[in-house]
Amino acid sequence: MDRVGAQVRAARGIVVKNATQVFLRRLPLALIAAIAIWLLLRPVIDTAVAGLAQTLIRSFEYPRVTRLVVEDHQAQMRRADLRTDSKVASVSMTEVTFNTIVLLALYLALPRPFSRRQAERLFMGWCVLCLSQSINLLFHVKTLYAMGLGEWSQHHYSDLARNIFGFGRYFTDLPGRFSFPFLIWLGFNWEVVMKMLRVSEDTDGKTATKRKKKGKELRVKG
Amino acid sequence: MSLRELWQKPEARFLVLFLTILGASFAVVALRQVNDAFVTPYTAVIARMSGFVLRVFGEKAVVTGCVVSSPRFAVTIYNGCNGLITSLIFISGVLAFPAKIPAKLIGVIGGLLTIQLINLVRIVSLFYVGVFLPQHFNDAHIFVWQSLVITAGISLWIVWAHRFALPEESS
Repeated sequence: MDRVGAQVRAARGIVVKNATQVFLRRLPLALIAAIAIWLLLRPVIDTAVAGLAQTLIRSFEYPRVTRLVVEDHQAQMRRADLRTDSKVASVSMTEVTFNTIVLLALYLALPRPFSRRQAERLFMGWCVLCLSQSINLLFHVKTLYAMGLGEWSQHHYSDLARNIFGFGRYFTDLPGRFSFPFLIWLGFNWEVVMKMLRVSEDTDGKTATKRKKKGKELRVKG
Repeated sequence: MSLRELWQKPEARFLVLFLTILGASFAVVALRQVNDAFVTPYTAVIARMSGFVLRVFGEKAVVTGCVVSSPRFAVTIYNGCNGLITSLIFISGVLAFPAKIPAKLIGVIGGLLTIQLINLVRIVSLFYVGVFLPQHFNDAHIFVWQSLVITAGISLWIVWAHRFALPEESS
């Protein structure tokens, strides 16, 4: 009985090992497809992210004067109370939203990416990523207000506010942009990824390397 | 759901540990003293390595601090371009994931070396994109190579976890 169980586990090991290999083989193609999808949807993503960021900024603003206008993949920070000849600062939306490519590629490389379940997970994950991108843009705008407008910034923002917005911008910039797609993908697909990695398959307390060796031995004996 | 129950969930535990390690490492790297003593010299080493590879390819590349220049093109290697961020994210992933300490050590050392190798290819290729297709430099820099480097880091983590991760019950 033990031997049959071990053989089943070993066979399962081969299947799961293949799942990881299939994922890694699919990933480059998935990346190309993700770049194409992102390029296609970029205007919509830019508008959605800037719109959500504007809503968030205006929720805590009195009077509500900030407007984020997307032009040529740049979010222009326009304020209703600025003179018409004032310079307009802008943030590159490409840098804010490019990590959508990574999230899409990771989803597309998983098994059965077009199933209803995976589509729902992708939708939820994408929404969370859009929120993180909007928060990143919000911190860019607030950092500019708190630090970049000379005496006006000094007068309207405290040192604490400057530190909070600067800190928020720093963490949501490179660390956030680089790590959020991975975290969101892993968070929404934990059991799929763990099955793929063979972490949730066996429970005999051995590392994957040992399990593989054991699997090989059993196959030779069997 | 109580905090203890949440902690029992492996995905929640991984996310909390990952974000804690990532946050702590980025907070350390953000300190001016650490930046001056480690990050800037590290970036300069990356620039020197890139300059060396470009000279091997026949470019008359000169390195000044973090700037790699030749008569044909010049690139400045900033903090986001030195591979440090991807490395820190990869290390956080390895440390937060249940595995034995030697396996984690192998992951950290192997991952760092591989990510640096990929980053070197990135810098050299971007230099040539700048030489031959300067109009596409920004696109290649921001969304092509950054996506590639992140995906490569995640692939490395998957390979490592597939080989060394402990089963959930024993973690």
